[in-house]
Amino acid sequence: MAAKPISSPVPVEWYPTLAVVMVSVGLMFTASFFIYEATSSRRSRSLPKEIATAAVASVFLGFGSLFVLLASGVYV
Amino acid sequence: MATALPPLRRTTSLLLFLVLAGALASAARADLVISRADRRVDLTSHIVRVLTSLKVENAGQNPVSRVLLAFPKIQAKNLAAIRAFGTEGKVKGPSTILPIEVVQPSGAPPELTFFSALLSKPLEKGKTLHLEVLTVFTHSLQPFPEEITQAEAQLVVYQDSAHYLSPYPVKVQTLTIRLPGGRVESYTKHPKAKIVDSELKYGPFEDLPPFSYLPVIVHFENNNPFAVAKEVMREIEISHWGNVQITEHYNIAHGGARLKGEFSRIDYQSRPYIRGVSSFRHLIARLPPRAHSIYYRDEIGNISTSHLWSDSKKTQLEIEPRFPLFGGWQTTFTVGYGLPLQDFVFYSDGKRFLNITFGSPMEEILIEKLIVKVVLPEGSKDIEVSAPFPTKQWQEVKYSHLDIVGRPVVVLEKPDVIPEHNLYFQVYYKFNNISLLREPLMLITGFFLLFVACIVFMRTDMSISKSSPSYLAKLQWDEVQGTVQKIQGIFEQCLAVHDKLEASLRDLSRTGDIQSCKAARKAADAQFKELLKELKPLLTSVQSSPQSYQIWPKVEDLVTKEREMQEKLMTRHSTVVDSFEKKLRGQDVENRIVVQQQKIAALRQEVESLLEYISDI
Repeated sequence: MAAKPISSPVPVEWYPTLAVVMVSVGLMFTASFFIYEATSSRRSRSLPKEIATAAVASVFLGFGSLFVLLASGVYV
Repeated sequence: MATALPPLRRTTSLLLFLVLAGALASAARADLVISRADRRVDLTSHIVRVLTSLKVENAGQNPVSRVLLAFPKIQAKNLAAIRAFGTEGKVKGPSTILPIEVVQPSGAPPELTFFSALLSKPLEKGKTLHLEVLTVFTHSLQPFPEEITQAEAQLVVYQDSAHYLSPYPVKVQTLTIRLPGGRVESYTKHPKAKIVDSELKYGPFEDLPPFSYLPVIVHFENNNPFAVAKEVMREIEISHWGNVQITEHYNIAHGGARLKGEFSRIDYQSRPYIRGVSSFRHLIARLPPRAHSIYYRDEIGNISTSHLWSDSKKTQLEIEPRFPLFGGWQTTFTVGYGLPLQDFVFYSDGKRFLNITFGSPMEEILIEKLIVKVVLPEGSKDIEVSAPFPTKQWQEVKYSHLDIVGRPVVVLEKPDVIPEHNLYFQVYYKFNNISLLREPLMLITGFFLLFVACIVFMRTDMSISKSSPSYLAKLQWDEVQGTVQKIQGIFEQCLAVHDKLEASLRDLSRTGDIQSCKAARKAADAQFKELLKELKPLLTSVQSSPQSYQIWPKVEDLVTKEREMQEKLMTRHSTVVDSFEKKLRGQDVENRIVVQQQKIAALRQEVESLLEYISDI
């Protein structure tokens, strides 16, 4: 079997774009999370909603920061 | 001159020994005869390359399967690489690389080291074989004098045998020594020696017995960079996110004649090619194509004196150390660059492998100790190395960005590495692509924990005194706020029901379907009742709370306004339905409800502004 070159799962040229998009989406979710935390009262706050927003925000921020690292040359 | 050179005495005594020993050993290997031996010695750099072309003839009865190559011990200890290529027959055809091993034939003198080139098929009686042997020696040019001043040129001594040292008889042979082109101080005189331009020729010599040895010495000028790296550490880090990062730490010295006296920067600056001819000021590295993010630095920081050219075949980096290197001086620096993953890492038969050159990309550099570290991604298993030459190997663990268990590192160590060792080697390993998600998952978990900490912080009660009035007031206020928010939600639902009723009226005027309009009315009535039931306890709790003095009037106001609006809407609804049942004209219906319409609109606005006010609190 001939050797097949291995390339990255995502083309390297996309990293900067992906970093910007995912970090900004992640920050938006983070903002909505904190707005919800600050505006809702202790009684009316719902845990599932908080967890859901936090999960979505952390997925976007996690991948976003990974792509920030990769785009800036820190290959993890 | 000759008596002044210490190495000569050693070779003379060696010669005596060899003649004696050769007589003993020759009988056993008389089958082969070398009909022609041409040696070309290249002394232009500090790495000595000897290319020997042999025409080997089998003069015996039995087929011969190996050819012995002999070297005196003093040469053999400096031998860095030996390669043999064989072509059978008279015409030069495709040559094959012959495997070479060290042997010690019985009866051979211990002053000699023997290598044996194994032929791909035995050489039959009477057949000839062309054998090309490339040998590379290091540390073979002795600077003489050993110390020079800044302005002096560097002179070196090279010694070899004018006769090809071989366990076989040699019929015709020549020796050509290529010199770098400067001054030739002296060379061993011989009737058959002549020097033409920068080439020194000995021979042809005819019909020499085995183990003939005729020491010759050349003393000449060689100002080429004697770049000797005491130690080079090469780290190759693979990231499956698309990069092979190479970091090379160099400790380079000038291995030639040592500098005597002081160094004058002014002299050097004004006439560097005269006052500093023995020094070198730059090194050239040939990096693979598509190398990126190249840096050149040392402990102080970036070194700005470097130049880079690149094309589709290679990337050429010229680096200048912080100071010119004179004999005995040394410098340390680091060169790093990134390479695209797909050029060097491949997949085959369920395994991944790295395929990259072993040595340093620097031109004409001798590395006394090369350590190559291959850092594989975290989670790699079943690591195997395949190198084209023997190396010392062991494994380590390296902790880098976002690692938990560390990355497996394969370390290869080899002494005396020359550019000829820039061969490809492979590191095979198994790696699952799922492991790629480790790093993002770590980051995600980190961020998520931060959010969870916020959630917990917002939910914990951090007050010390649980019975202080302000704390109790705060608790009550929180309760009021929660209830008010619920009330708000109910009113928003009410408004939605209002909208539904309006919509049913519009449908009525369009389709004239009185029944569905009545059904909508019924449903709205039921919803209103439900909402009212929900609202009542909330209202009482707000009213009873001492914290609600500020908000209660507004809520009350909201309730009355909404009730009023609801009534108006209901009457309007009844009126319209009524009119439709009586089959009045559209114009009349409009006239009947126009005043109500205006009132409803005004009330709605008020209710909405009240809701907004409450939500701001």
